[in-house]
Amino acid sequence: MLASWKQLIFQILLLLVSCRHINTTSPDPTPPPLVPIDSLPRDVRRAAFKGEGQIEKVELLNPVNLELVCTWTGHQNKESNITGFWRKDGLEIENSHLTVQLENEQYQLQQVFNIVSEENLGNYSCVFESEVKIDFVVAVPQIGEIRDKPVVTYVGDSGVITCKMEDSKPMPNTWKWYKANGTDKEEIFAAAEPQRYEIKNNERKTKLLVNNLTMADSGLYYCGAVYTLSTSMGHVELKVITYYEPLKPFMAIVAEVFILVTAILLFERSRSKKNDTEGDMMSDQTNTLSPGENNGLEGSSSMRQRKT
Amino acid sequence: MEERHTCTDKSVLDMTNPKPKAESQSDEAEDPDGGWGWVLVGALFVSTSLVFGLMRSLGIFFVEFVQYFDESAHAISWISSTGLAAQQFFSPLGAALCNAYNARVVVMTGGLLAGLGLILASQATRLYHLYLTMGVISGLGWGLVFTPMVATVMAHFTRRRTLALGLAFSSIGLSSFAFNPLFQLLVEKYAWRGALLILGGLSLNIVPCGALIRPRRRSKAPAKVDSETGSSPVSVLRRISSYLELSLLSERPYVTYTLGITLLNVGYFVPYFHLVAHSRHAGFSEYQSAFVMSAAGASDILGRIVSGWFSDLGHFRLIHLLSAWTTLAGVFIMLLPLSSLSGSYSALMVISLLYGFCSGALTSVVFVVVPLIVGVERMMGALGLLQLIESGAGLLGTPLSGFLKDVTGNYVASFIVAGSFLILGTLTMATLPHYFSCTDPPPPPQRSSLDDKHNGLHSELEHMTSSPSSDTNHRV
Repeated sequence: MLASWKQLIFQILLLLVSCRHINTTSPDPTPPPLVPIDSLPRDVRRAAFKGEGQIEKVELLNPVNLELVCTWTGHQNKESNITGFWRKDGLEIENSHLTVQLENEQYQLQQVFNIVSEENLGNYSCVFESEVKIDFVVAVPQIGEIRDKPVVTYVGDSGVITCKMEDSKPMPNTWKWYKANGTDKEEIFAAAEPQRYEIKNNERKTKLLVNNLTMADSGLYYCGAVYTLSTSMGHVELKVITYYEPLKPFMAIVAEVFILVTAILLFERSRSKKNDTEGDMMSDQTNTLSPGENNGLEGSSSMRQRKT
Repeated sequence: MEERHTCTDKSVLDMTNPKPKAESQSDEAEDPDGGWGWVLVGALFVSTSLVFGLMRSLGIFFVEFVQYFDESAHAISWISSTGLAAQQFFSPLGAALCNAYNARVVVMTGGLLAGLGLILASQATRLYHLYLTMGVISGLGWGLVFTPMVATVMAHFTRRRTLALGLAFSSIGLSSFAFNPLFQLLVEKYAWRGALLILGGLSLNIVPCGALIRPRRRSKAPAKVDSETGSSPVSVLRRISSYLELSLLSERPYVTYTLGITLLNVGYFVPYFHLVAHSRHAGFSEYQSAFVMSAAGASDILGRIVSGWFSDLGHFRLIHLLSAWTTLAGVFIMLLPLSSLSGSYSALMVISLLYGFCSGALTSVVFVVVPLIVGVERMMGALGLLQLIESGAGLLGTPLSGFLKDVTGNYVASFIVAGSFLILGTLTMATLPHYFSCTDPPPPPQRSSLDDKHNGLHSELEHMTSSPSSDTNHRV
């Protein structure tokens, strides 16, 4: 009987010792941050490695389970196993290291990410052997058609700033406007100040009208295309100037015109006076107009008379 | 100065005036073909660029207007259409005022109005303000400037008329090259309001150009003007109709010529509006299409100057040269769609260059033929009426070509119809009297000095030129 108790204890001890070395982690890598929410749709994006600095754009509007698949055909001497891992925004994702098998002459890394909020957006990279990398830029659609030069308006006038989401990209849910205040952005609520601001939204286009401009209204304005996941921003600079700005070159030009006209008329008058005195010295047939009108005519004509 | 036996002839004057010019003009104002005439060519250069060069570059503002006034591009394009229409409509008025008073005052006033229109436009708060200011007021100013200046320059030249006009009209193309980036810069720096204000100031530079016109002596005039005293409605109307040279409308040569030029205008502008679109349609890129247009513009400038120089060499009659250029331009317009059908970019480029050259060449000659038909002293009014009548053609031509494009789906029909209008214009001009003779016909008989001879430009022009008919008038 004692022997069977010893055997039992010994077996239990053996079990405990061997159990200590059992790795409870599963062979699959742990997915980054959150547990997959099965109710989200799944979006699959694939990319095959083509060369250095490869960037794939992923445009998302709503929360999804994003599956990213990277394939690589490998070097000349293909090893059967290589390591691969994932990075987000340049930082390695924990526990994402994988051993990748060579299948059908290529290596494949895949991973499912939960994209539910703004912090899930960013630059995801799959990396093979720390050297071969494909970047996935996961973002909401960016505003492409936006004015890069400043909008110039005058004090007291009204200014218009427009933002447009191209037809090729999905429509935003709504638009919002912000004014830059130092490094912050303040949202503009048109309802709060209807005399000053007016926002006209039209699916793909949005217009901000600012009435009764003052110098303080100069600065950067941000239009935000609001999607469920995040808001994509574009910025336009508004410059408010006074009427004195264009008035200065204008007055310069008017002065130049005035000087030219005066010079021309004076020159003509002096020429005609000179010819008048010449003409008076000779007998002339015609004694017509006012001195101002006289020009070189009579002088030359009287010269002609003398020759003929 | 003897009459030549071959078909090459000098200008009218040599042929019909056996005497040297100096002798016949005892009170000859200035040396024609030189001296002050070239100064006026410079003035015409500047004012033409400020009128037509400016009009052509207004497209830069349209994007800003569309955004600011929240209107369609079609509504905005009416601004420049109104301006051009006003310029052409008020041309007879400008001519009449020059006949009644003097060209210097008229051109200076026109310059002031043109500048004023743009300055007022900078204050616009509604779209119709722009129609009234940039369209009507500036257009009126432009109308008072262009025809009088052209007529004055032509009156200062006899042998080198075409060269003078060709050099002056080359300003249109050159200034478009300069104005486009300049206007862009002004709009970026000062927004459209400030840019229009500065443009108004620039347009005021027409005033010193007008000041350069020397008022002519009115020696003969006082005797004649007395014949037309009284302010009874009948005499006033008669005077107005003579200022406007309305009697020209009953003369067959003038009417024939005007009709020919009107037909020419129907097709003339079509390539300007549709060449770029047609190139894109044919499959060329944006840059390639824009480059074709620029190349045609450059050869246009060259054509104006070369045609001016060549016409004045006197180897051919001006009317024959005009017919040749017009026919060639019409042919090349018709070839334009066919050359790009084959898909060859170089063929399109070559034909466009040739078209540009011919269309520029004919513009130099169009105006110079007018005094050969109506005589120098009626030239002012004749040019005014010509501008007015040919304006209708421009309004017809572009919508017609657009309609053809919508109906047929491509530009082939539009270009062929446009080219055929030019050829039709040539055929019309071929019905002018003495068309097929080797020498120019004698200028029309002088109007009797008894009835409506007025002071002002009539006698001034007589002094400036030496056409024999005005010689006889002097002796009267």
